[in-house]
Amino acid sequence: MNEVISLDVRTNQILLLQSIWRGVFAVLAAAGALAPWLGWVTLDSNWQKLLVSAILLIAAIASGIGALQLTRHRHAGRMISLALDYLAFVACAVIVLNTGEVFIGIDALGETFGRGLPYLGIAVAGYFLGTIEDRFPKRDVSTTTSLKTVSRWIILGGVVLFLWQIDAVNGVLYFLGKLLQPTGLVAVAGTLIFGLSLWSMMRSEVAEALNAKTNHEQIISGWLFLSPNLLGFLIFFAGPLILSFYFSFTDSDAFNPPNWVGLENYARILNVRFAWLSSPTQLAREVVDIKVYDEVGRLALGNGGLLFAAADKFFWLALRNTLTFVLFAMPLSVIPALVLSNVLNSKLPGMKFFRAVYFMPSIAAVVGIALVWQWLYNATIGYINYFITVGIEFWNNLFNLAIIDPKIQWVSDEKTALFAVILIAAWQTMGFNTVLFLAGLQNIPGELYEAATVDGAGPWAKFWGITLPMLAPTTFYVVSTTTIQAMQVFEQVFILMNPPEGPNNSTITLVLYLYRSGFQNFKQGYASAIAWVLFIVIFGLTLVQFQRQRRSSIYES
Amino acid sequence: MKKNVVFKMLSLFVIASFVLAACAAPAATEAPAQPQPPAATEAPAMTEAPAATEAPATEAPSAEEVTLRWRTRPDNQEEIDVYSQISTELDAQLDGITLTYEPGGTEGANYQDQLRSEVAAGTAPDVFWIPGTDVADFATRGLILNFSDLATQTDGFSVDNFYPGPMYHLTYNPESDASGADSGALWGLPRDVSTFALYLNLDLIAEAGAPDPRELAKEGKWDWDAFLDVAQKTRALGSDIYGYGASAWWGPYGTWLNAAGGGFFSADRKACALNTAESLQGLEFQRSLYQDYDVATPYGEDPEPPFRAGKVAMFQNGRWATPGVRTVEFNWDVVELPNGPKGTAGNWLFWGAYVINAKTAHPEEAWQLVQALTTAQTQGEVAALGANIPSRVSQEALDAFLTFTPPANNQAFLNGIADAAAPTAEGPLWAGSWPEFDKIMGPAIQGVLTGATSVDDFGTTICDEANKVFNQ
Repeated sequence: MNEVISLDVRTNQILLLQSIWRGVFAVLAAAGALAPWLGWVTLDSNWQKLLVSAILLIAAIASGIGALQLTRHRHAGRMISLALDYLAFVACAVIVLNTGEVFIGIDALGETFGRGLPYLGIAVAGYFLGTIEDRFPKRDVSTTTSLKTVSRWIILGGVVLFLWQIDAVNGVLYFLGKLLQPTGLVAVAGTLIFGLSLWSMMRSEVAEALNAKTNHEQIISGWLFLSPNLLGFLIFFAGPLILSFYFSFTDSDAFNPPNWVGLENYARILNVRFAWLSSPTQLAREVVDIKVYDEVGRLALGNGGLLFAAADKFFWLALRNTLTFVLFAMPLSVIPALVLSNVLNSKLPGMKFFRAVYFMPSIAAVVGIALVWQWLYNATIGYINYFITVGIEFWNNLFNLAIIDPKIQWVSDEKTALFAVILIAAWQTMGFNTVLFLAGLQNIPGELYEAATVDGAGPWAKFWGITLPMLAPTTFYVVSTTTIQAMQVFEQVFILMNPPEGPNNSTITLVLYLYRSGFQNFKQGYASAIAWVLFIVIFGLTLVQFQRQRRSSIYES
Repeated sequence: MKKNVVFKMLSLFVIASFVLAACAAPAATEAPAQPQPPAATEAPAMTEAPAATEAPATEAPSAEEVTLRWRTRPDNQEEIDVYSQISTELDAQLDGITLTYEPGGTEGANYQDQLRSEVAAGTAPDVFWIPGTDVADFATRGLILNFSDLATQTDGFSVDNFYPGPMYHLTYNPESDASGADSGALWGLPRDVSTFALYLNLDLIAEAGAPDPRELAKEGKWDWDAFLDVAQKTRALGSDIYGYGASAWWGPYGTWLNAAGGGFFSADRKACALNTAESLQGLEFQRSLYQDYDVATPYGEDPEPPFRAGKVAMFQNGRWATPGVRTVEFNWDVVELPNGPKGTAGNWLFWGAYVINAKTAHPEEAWQLVQALTTAQTQGEVAALGANIPSRVSQEALDAFLTFTPPANNQAFLNGIADAAAPTAEGPLWAGSWPEFDKIMGPAIQGVLTGATSVDDFGTTICDEANKVFNQ
């Protein structure tokens, strides 16, 4: 009886403290939200101020609501408390590690780890020594005990030597030394306070006092398990995504505080002019303001023509090249994959070997592949041209012909450069698509083919009547992902071509252009705007594919 | 159960050790983040050491050991080894300074892109190397330190100890539009210099019965006509043999424009000059090599593999190509570029500079390091590899360079950077964006050299577009 009363008192005290703590936290967070604007804290740019203030304001409001809920002994207060304290605990722990320079110390670990490996091996050997008793019958208890003891000492010695060798002692001292600065101390205090608060609210007595139900605990566990991935997504994906959206409205160069320029970046990208030409060779400066626009292309129409000019011609050239790339690379990596998967789906001997062979380009490093192809494509000493020359000489000699060796300049001629990149991309993607089609083929029920055979259908009829319709979901997935991947083509072009833009900008692509703008021309803001336009283009194409798939889906019909 | 406990404890130990060990060594390298002891009064004393030919000694070693990170772009493992050795030697020489050398990626590995990202993230080294064309971008954005004041306080230091071309840009003050020792600006010191020469396949030239370009150069007869003659004779050896080869970037095509008296920019470097009659004359000659006479490897194809395969008679490249060419199996040497209509070869004086990170916490020590990295002794160690030429105007350094053979005719490189050759110094574009200019110029020139555009059309339109990159 006494124990129950004692428990209630403690729980009540915890709840009271938590209510007060939530109120204090709300006030502190609200003050933190105002701090950048009142000059208490110096932040470089407005986006940083806005971001910090928004986060702290939300935290302040949530904490205030949590305090109210806790005073009314409602479970919602506990959930809010747990969420806020957990996030704050993680943030403080990260700051502690960052202040102690753990993250940038990984290089040091790389340097010293090798020295410690033999001693780690000793520790592991000690562990296996201790497991011998599990492998052999216990004949002599005293021997087993001795082994256990020896094992423990070996493990201990190995671990100590390992830590010594990888310089862990200095690491700890340095880490603690770094924490002694104000940021470190505040972060450590925060970690302890939020950790303590978190622990107190996780107590079963508190949960019961707030009428927690089983599903509440399940929800908490679920979010807890999800949190590493979710936080990673928010911080490393969604965060930069939103930030790049903000940057697209600024003149950010990545080094100095950005200035807000509104829609200027987008306006420059989309600023285009069409003008009629009085003759196909009329100069662009005669029909458009050449201080603003550059010629992107022209269309000869009889004695005149149509000029297409843009404020940023490179964007439009990149868009043209990217769409051309998609137009050819997508079918070239999907249709052969479909054919190949049907061949590889047969029961012939050795098929597993060939499946592996065709998949290999997909797992090989893009850089290595591009370099190999660079050699193959070399116009003067490359193997492709060599075999073409040998073949032509053979036919010329055999039939006394005079076929001229084309000596194709695969990567240095603007007519063939993009095609050279398309070939590589198609060759590389085909293997992966083949595996996807294979998986789809193996899910088609054999009864359908048997029934078709009974009905007298031939192989071609089976393919058109059964295989293709049944593969529709797989085909949709393959086409969609291949299209998205092709829209983002970068590595092959970047490595293969020199310069990457290729002859007369024939291989400049959207991702390459945004990379050049952002990382080489100091235009992060403009590059962000290009990225968002690219996103809209990809989104639009995917949307069209979805709608077409819905209309033609055999499952929905 | 006990086994599980031991296993868990062991795992915990290992994980904890990873985290703790991760705190150790780099800690020292991150020292720049720490506040620096008062340096204003110490700086003059620390920088008084002679800078011309020996590493600056520190007269007043700081009470606390300072760690500096530095980086340069090596071309291969041999260079990494030499720079590492230099770092070790300077570490011993510079009292109170511990050096950490970080070999950057090669040009192909996007040294500059990685460096810019690190500068933006605030994790770039204290001292790093950048190409000459990047200096303006880094300086005007406040990413590198103007250490003119430190240099002024340093006894024995003079900008005149280096080639004037690079120093013009490295002492350029964008605020006053002035350059020179008194401009109030010093952005870096050149690590080395380089220039173009023609690497010759002597076997091919002899087989073709063409005159030896080296002899023609000695006789003062090595001009465009003589060059074309040798190129045509060697090209006639076979359909897969070429008389000339050059890479597709601004350096090689720029020499033809320069030699004709033209160039990329106007004299004040504030406007495009690609459409001048002289520039177009140079471009027309180069176009004829590709399109009319068909003596050159296809423009845009890397000419180095066919040259090393013995299929190119004259290969235009810089000193940096020497280590690779040393592995070929045919007889080879070098000769300076042929003289153009104006009587000069129009060569470049390539350079890159050691600069100081604007965010370094140890500018005085960084300045000491920059001086130490550019002494004749240090430069000699690097130049011994054969990849570059010392940037100090020092007879001692040049004499040493001549001994770094093959090639036997090392003098060709020195002739290329001699005052008489009037080389054009590679340089940043203070009045505009060099990357933007290059982005417009490169494809347009390529259009001409591949026959897609005529020289006249190029001249009519190029500066309309290129002039947009200038601020004025």
